[in-house]
Amino acid sequence: MEFGSIDELEEALRRADYLPDRGLATALYLSLALSKPVLLEGEAGVGKTEAAKALATVLGARLIRLQCYEGLDVAHAVYEWNYPRQLLHIRAAQEGTLREEELFGPEYLIRRPLLEAIWSDEPVVLLIDEIDRADEEFEAFLLEVLSDFQITIPELGTIVAKRRPAVILTSNRTRELHDALKRRALFHWIGHPSIEREIEIVRLRVPGVPERLAAEAAAFVRELRALDLAKPPGVAETIDWAMALNALGRKEIDAEVVQQTLGSVLKYREDVDAVRDETLSRLVEAARTAAPAG
Amino acid sequence: MAAGDAIVGHVVTFGRVLHEAGLEVGPGRVADALRALDAVDLERREDVYFSLRQTLVSRHDELELFDRAFDAWFLRAPVLPPARARMPEQVETSAVVDLADRTQPAGDDDPDSGDPVELGASGQELLRDKDFAELSGDELRRLRELIARIARARPQRHSRRRTADPRGDRLDVRRMIRRSLRTGGDPVERPFRARKEVPRKLVVLCDVSGSMDSYARALLLFLHAVVGTGRGVEAFAFGTRLSRLTPDLATRDPDAALARCTEAVVDWGSGTRIGASLRQFNEVYGRRALSRGAIVLIVSDGWEREDPELVGREMARLARAAYAVVWVNPLKGNPQYQPLAGGMRAALPYVDRFLPGHNLRSLEELAAVLAGIERRHAA
Repeated sequence: MEFGSIDELEEALRRADYLPDRGLATALYLSLALSKPVLLEGEAGVGKTEAAKALATVLGARLIRLQCYEGLDVAHAVYEWNYPRQLLHIRAAQEGTLREEELFGPEYLIRRPLLEAIWSDEPVVLLIDEIDRADEEFEAFLLEVLSDFQITIPELGTIVAKRRPAVILTSNRTRELHDALKRRALFHWIGHPSIEREIEIVRLRVPGVPERLAAEAAAFVRELRALDLAKPPGVAETIDWAMALNALGRKEIDAEVVQQTLGSVLKYREDVDAVRDETLSRLVEAARTAAPAG
Repeated sequence: MAAGDAIVGHVVTFGRVLHEAGLEVGPGRVADALRALDAVDLERREDVYFSLRQTLVSRHDELELFDRAFDAWFLRAPVLPPARARMPEQVETSAVVDLADRTQPAGDDDPDSGDPVELGASGQELLRDKDFAELSGDELRRLRELIARIARARPQRHSRRRTADPRGDRLDVRRMIRRSLRTGGDPVERPFRARKEVPRKLVVLCDVSGSMDSYARALLLFLHAVVGTGRGVEAFAFGTRLSRLTPDLATRDPDAALARCTEAVVDWGSGTRIGASLRQFNEVYGRRALSRGAIVLIVSDGWEREDPELVGREMARLARAAYAVVWVNPLKGNPQYQPLAGGMRAALPYVDRFLPGHNLRSLEELAAVLAGIERRHAA
């Protein structure tokens, strides 16, 4: 393993512009040390997908991503035969001199993310994104793949991973996952970051942002998260918003500019409607008071 | 290595504490926890905490429990795992109300049978719209067949696997290519594949408390018919506590089934503790993934005596596991009805479809909804 301690991995991730909290760094470190997949759960926008990208960067590995959705099947997740090419080949070969093995060889195989990750010679980080969206049957199939890291294609035989990919699963918890799948993985819940860390993230991601502005933006988003919103803003929204404010040349926030730019923080109409006028002014005041002085 | 042994002892004990507190901690997880501790710096409490948490906990709602247990263990405080509500003992009681008495209220010795108005098609029509609360025992018997017919419309789901099917919707190209080899590459045969339809799991939770009294017998008939449709159906009754009715309802004869249910349910006509009953369901049966991917049908007037907030919390948990949640409230049959009862209000945000269910016509509507229901989409 490339990293001798959690500190080393944390440091490498920071250099790759990703600021994990200690818990996430521990989860990623243990995932590598124990060769176990890690399941990341948390509200939308806390950086689950970003974590996988950052891990791939620091490992110098290729990131292969499988985005899950309801109805996802083997043809889209594992492999498919390239039928148009096969048909062309049959045409070209003409009268029945063709053997079946020729037609079902690797050159006619379309490798989808799971097969690609197992087939690959280079190191791979396999991101299985939003697994809670896939059907239960697919989950069961995935469990098989994650236990043996091998895939059987009837025409070709069994393909075994030369090196096991690092596997990150993410879930937004729209449903509970199978216990069997959870048993196979480390579990880490990512909460919203502390205000200090969020300010740090904003300053890293928005070059040239005034310190005071970063602090007030982070504090305001924190106030928003305490409300009962349909979709509480994540770190990604804080970054977008700080970027917008910075582009407008602001040094700090006030009710007017918040009103103008609220659309980059709140993505639902009901939420925008719930935060206006007095509520908005009150939150701005609270944020300006709460923002830690740089 | 004495230090190593000490750690093993600690972790095994800690695992047992968590298990006592209701977490699913088996030997596999304890082994993972030991491997994890082996890989991190034991001097840093934070790293020890996350190593144990990430290997021993697999659900967000167990984190709080874990934290309390961890503090207790780490600080060497006396270990007091928070108590979980245990499944109450099912007490056999002779004070069970006999269902037969309920279906035939005293003094109502069959005055309705033979009433010419209710025979024939128009009679059936009348019966369809009549509130269950106003049905006589005899009318109820005549409803049986109709109820059974409605219950047969089970919601289906697509299996992931496709099987060969000449009327399928997708060309089986793999097979076509293989067969076309025999004909020099010309696809003479066109095999198709289709997704197999299998019935979706259905879980029914029926309120049999006092306020639901007049509807309970008709709804139990419905439950009996639904359980009779085959695998993947689970039925429960609740008042102040939860009773599993599936085995009792599995009897073919509806009268015998209803009689057995009466014995199984200890709190007929009692008060309602919806929140506590739902929690019991989530903890005991939800844990065995009974509700996962299932359509959960709750039949209740939403009259919570104790803690409406608990209803909301447990509904959230239930809705997360379920494919869809349908709530049937007989009171909704009244046009003036507003969901004002605290429990009902707390539950509604997690309900996909909210329906009446006070007469036969509304049961038909229910069957149609169940057959065509779509998955709830969380924000």
